[in-house]
Amino acid sequence: MLASRVFSLVGRRSISTSLCLRAHGHGVVKAEDYTLPAYVDRRDVPLPEVAFVRDLSAQQQALKEKEKASWSALSVDEKVELYRIKFNETYAEMNKGTNEWKTILGGVFFFLGFTGIILIWQKHFMYGPIPHTFSEEWLSAQTKRMLDMRVNPVEGISAQWDFDKNEWKK
Amino acid sequence: MANHSQLGFQDASSPIMEELIQFHDHALMVALAICSLVLYLLTLMLTEKLSSSTVDAQEIELVWTILPAMVLITLALPSLRILYMMDEINEPDLTLKAIGHQWYWTYEYTDFKDLTFDSYMIPTADLPLGHFRLLEVDHRVIVPTGSTVRVIVTADDVLHSWAVPSLGVKTDAIPGRLNQTSFFATRPGVYYGQCSEICGANHSFMPIVVESAPLPNFEHWSSSLSS
Repeated sequence: MLASRVFSLVGRRSISTSLCLRAHGHGVVKAEDYTLPAYVDRRDVPLPEVAFVRDLSAQQQALKEKEKASWSALSVDEKVELYRIKFNETYAEMNKGTNEWKTILGGVFFFLGFTGIILIWQKHFMYGPIPHTFSEEWLSAQTKRMLDMRVNPVEGISAQWDFDKNEWKK
Repeated sequence: MANHSQLGFQDASSPIMEELIQFHDHALMVALAICSLVLYLLTLMLTEKLSSSTVDAQEIELVWTILPAMVLITLALPSLRILYMMDEINEPDLTLKAIGHQWYWTYEYTDFKDLTFDSYMIPTADLPLGHFRLLEVDHRVIVPTGSTVRVIVTADDVLHSWAVPSLGVKTDAIPGRLNQTSFFATRPGVYYGQCSEICGANHSFMPIVVESAPLPNFEHWSSSLSS
């Protein structure tokens, strides 16, 4: 039982190795998939290395025979079938956008909202009162003091107050 | 001092700060140009007006090496100019020592007489109406307007930093080391700053207040205190 298992494993190894030997002539390493010609749907690769459909059915083989004759004899459906043998997607299908952006945007809004809920909860349940220097009375006294001291007189707050008319500049 | 939601610089009260503001405007313009270019290229790429199948790229490689080099020179030249301007020999009229402690400053005016005092923040609960929270101190640093002042900054215990934004001054206070800076207050006024190097629990509560007064007022103050 063990001997037959070993034999089948060795047999499989030898078959793939012999395939490589036949392909490259010196066969030490099995040919990896990415080194073999492959089909790809890419905007900048208009003619892929192989056709999309490799094993043609009988009907498709007959169509390929018909293709060798004049193309004007082919119907539209036959031409489409020939196209689909050669290629997987059309350019239109390949370039078509997805609806992924809606999912992304939805996720972003969700997390923004969740953050907002956390902030509201914190303000309500966690933080203490703000300093008394934020009261209306204090802020107006503070602003008056800033203007009296001529804080930032060039382009800042004191430059926006009209000292002659005692009001903010228009 | 800054307004409640101020993003930009405070108005300059020294010539160096004026230069720094102009340089910052210049640097932001360069940054705007670069960001606009990047945004434009990004839009081109996202709307598929730029292809990616390029094999030989000698010209563009030359462009995107030379152009950034020129941008860097455009930034470096004014920057170095201001840097050297800050180090010019300016023969200060007054020398002042600022010593950082946890968590207050000590100022020494020892040119003529021995004038030393501590400067503590006024606690919020003790503030008179309309005064600035976390910025006011009991004893301000008075300097004469229109005189070059040399400041020697050091610390007694841990790192601090003596900073007054509108004068364009920020100098680290390092124990065992004397750092020198200077400023020239162009106009009379009161200028606020805060300790700018983390120094423990009350790092946010040891502000700096520089009051620039006309020379006679300064002389009157210093003689009245040091007698």
